[in-house]
Amino acid sequence: MLSFLTRRLFQGAIVLLIVTFAIFTLLRVVPGDPARLIVGGMAPDEVVVQKAEELGLNDPIPVQFIRYLGDLAQGDLGNSFFRPKSGATVGAAAFDDPSRDERAEVRDLIFERIPLTLQLAGLAVVFALLMSFPLGVAAGLNPGRWQDKLAFFTGSVFVSIPNFWLGIVLAQLFSVQLGILPSLGYKGFEYTILPAFVLAVGISPFIIRTLSVSIAGVMQEEFINVAPLRGLRRARIVAAHAIRNASIPLLNLFGIQLGSLLGVLLVVELIFDYPGLGRLTINAVLQRDFPIIQGVAIFISAAFVFINIIVDLAASYIDPRLEY
Amino acid sequence: MADNNSILSVRNLSVGLEKDPDARIIDDISFDLGGGKVLGLIGEAGSGKTVLARALINGIGSPLIYRGGDVHYQDKNILTIPINELTKIRGNSIGYIGSNPAGALDPTVPIGGQIVEKLRSVNPSMSRKQATDRALEVLTAVRIPSPEVRFHEYPFQFSGGMMQRVMIVDALVTNPSVLIADNITQALDVTVAAQIIRLIQDLRDQFSTAILFISSSLPVVETIADEVMVLQQGKIVEQATPKALITKPKHEYTKSLLSRLPRIWGKDIKGPDAVETPNLMSVEDVHRTYYVRKKGTFRDMNAVQAVRGVSLDIREGENIGVVGESGCGKSTLTRLLAWLEEPQTGTIKFNGQDLSALDQKELTKLRQQFQLLLQDPYSSLPSRMSVGRIIAEPLLIHGIAEGTKLKERVRAAMTEVGLDPSLENQLTVGLSAGQRQRINIARALVLEPKLMILDETLSSLDQVEQSKLFELFDKLQKTHGFTYIFISHDMALVRKVCHRVAVMYLGRIVELAENNTLFENPAHPYSRALLSAVPTLDVHPFKSDEYLLEGEPPSPVHIPPGCSYRTRCPLALEICNRIDPKATMLAGGGQVSCHLVDQDQQAQSEQAATVT
Repeated sequence: MLSFLTRRLFQGAIVLLIVTFAIFTLLRVVPGDPARLIVGGMAPDEVVVQKAEELGLNDPIPVQFIRYLGDLAQGDLGNSFFRPKSGATVGAAAFDDPSRDERAEVRDLIFERIPLTLQLAGLAVVFALLMSFPLGVAAGLNPGRWQDKLAFFTGSVFVSIPNFWLGIVLAQLFSVQLGILPSLGYKGFEYTILPAFVLAVGISPFIIRTLSVSIAGVMQEEFINVAPLRGLRRARIVAAHAIRNASIPLLNLFGIQLGSLLGVLLVVELIFDYPGLGRLTINAVLQRDFPIIQGVAIFISAAFVFINIIVDLAASYIDPRLEY
Repeated sequence: MADNNSILSVRNLSVGLEKDPDARIIDDISFDLGGGKVLGLIGEAGSGKTVLARALINGIGSPLIYRGGDVHYQDKNILTIPINELTKIRGNSIGYIGSNPAGALDPTVPIGGQIVEKLRSVNPSMSRKQATDRALEVLTAVRIPSPEVRFHEYPFQFSGGMMQRVMIVDALVTNPSVLIADNITQALDVTVAAQIIRLIQDLRDQFSTAILFISSSLPVVETIADEVMVLQQGKIVEQATPKALITKPKHEYTKSLLSRLPRIWGKDIKGPDAVETPNLMSVEDVHRTYYVRKKGTFRDMNAVQAVRGVSLDIREGENIGVVGESGCGKSTLTRLLAWLEEPQTGTIKFNGQDLSALDQKELTKLRQQFQLLLQDPYSSLPSRMSVGRIIAEPLLIHGIAEGTKLKERVRAAMTEVGLDPSLENQLTVGLSAGQRQRINIARALVLEPKLMILDETLSSLDQVEQSKLFELFDKLQKTHGFTYIFISHDMALVRKVCHRVAVMYLGRIVELAENNTLFENPAHPYSRALLSAVPTLDVHPFKSDEYLLEGEPPSPVHIPPGCSYRTRCPLALEICNRIDPKATMLAGGGQVSCHLVDQDQQAQSEQAATVT
């Protein structure tokens, strides 16, 4: 178990290193001078040169990369180009405005948003499981019957609904017409419900499909057929053995689906103006705030690697035959 | 009509198919199982054995459906009582053991947990602690070594035989009054099957359970049952005591069953005599070890010593058999002989040529002369290729023939193995196992090889097909002068066709002898143990009480030092712990690796010396 962890963490570290390098290089080769972006369009050229020197932007990319890695190791993701510590954006301020030097640290920017994003993603997964489990399990237990058709139909409808459309319709319905749930910004837990539901509709078709297929497969297994002859009751067989065995493909799917979940997350946060990681990223991209893009990308890939390790651990905990 | 002693009584039970109102899988079956009795049921594949076993405990579902009759356990009709009543009987008062121990339990939960789960499901008042104690008690009773440890292990960590013991525990843990044993030895090696039968016999006295013992092997049923029923196409055609059934069969079907049983020992039973011909292939001290990463480590390796020093001469035109339990290295040896893998040390010479000295081109050319025939006729043929193309493939690979000549040779090969040449352009879908195996033979035959290596080639076929293919092999041997290597676990088959037999144990040949010598006067204690486990109706020269082994072979990762067989040998001496016995040549051309034989020989020669 321990050796599995060390091996996987080591592999994860290598993956992260490669990802970091790729992101770093890509951001250096796209057009646009960071120094100019930082000091603003009105600054004289010598200020730009001085700023570039100060940030080490004249060094070769590998040198910059090593320096960045060194900072990363100390938990320093760099500073935003535009966001001051105070919160307001500095885009319009003059180049010698003191607020330009007080730029926010990327680490702080990311960490203050993670709880909100986690809350959103977590609630979305809960919603998705609540919708998918009854549908998927019922479909798997009754292949070809109406439960199966219902699950298939629901999955098809959900997968075909564009999330931005659903978001706007739900906001219109629940916030504007019924006035039950808020849908803009974030002032409390109830602000998470609508975006989480939209996210859940995006994920659940995959869960329903995987669950129904793998439950149907497990129900054909010899040990399930023999179980009633051994004296087990049907409810117990389904709950303790069928779902247990069917959950392994589901876990693996979850690890893989995480990427697309993040994609949907960006859109949903933008629609609902939800102050999470997604909105931070989109704003950073629009402003070309490279350190933030870079930080978020590295953070997300780290989360991706980490969650997949957890998924593998969980899978091998459920089924010890899986060699890790 | 039911006698008072009957505990399970079946009346006019019929099972059919949902879609076809006239079909009958089980047809009007009635019988009584008396308390504490063992009732045998014998039937061939497809006779409805498993359907009957499950129908007795209301365990059938779509597409099967009850078409009449009832099953009474004590005074309750199992087929009509509500599910709550049923769960009190099924799995509790009536235990069930199936033929596939490997798939019978959830692979993701330790076996102990599943037995406890079952116990508490049929007996909810039992505490977890009580259930655990009871499970451990029965695990000990079936002689599973270190039950406390194995309680926490998963199904995949058990061998087939051990897993079947676990399933016996699972059935007996509730102390049922009826046990339905559905072909429980089918998937097991003969030695392990014999152990399980003996265990059932012991437990029968201990638990006083009535047993319905279902099997496809009459010799197996005969050893254990008080009475035997014969099942043919869903009907019971005869019921008698085993003795009466064997000596005075009444029904035609029983007679034909008996006549088809292979004979091993008896007055007129003799195997073919060995031939003295030049060597075709000589195997000298070949070794093959596999390295497998240990679970949960970075790079610690387990060395699996699959074949450890096998030497064997294969004579031209002979049939040589290689026998042994699962995991003894038979399949690895096959792969080495077919040169699919090279031995790490040692040489294999074919027709005097060292195979390792040949380059790729020469090897491909030489390969035409030795061909491998596989066990599974389904997975060994490509499903999207026409029959003719499959058989033509070797000729194309070796560039031997093309155009009309190719077609002619393919057709000739098909005719020779008894395949209708009109099958040429068909796919293999829908062909029977026997026909498929014939395609396999034709594919090997078309190259006109000298040596055919048969890896359990006939074991997936039924008796009738087997004997037909035998005649074919025999005919081919006469016309082409083939040499056959039969790798098999079927002793009856080996007895019938092989000139010489090699017995393998833990990657070595422990005895090599002529057919009649091995079956009538084996020298190695392991050979005797193997023979004692063979189920047969013949008068058995090796009583299983005396020769049968307990336990299973050690893992090829941890081979005991000294004689590797000593851990199971009932006759092991002190010297066996220290010194690995060398192969000793015996009079009559056999060879054996055993200290006992060496000592006997020594004593005899000393005796001879003093006499003269």
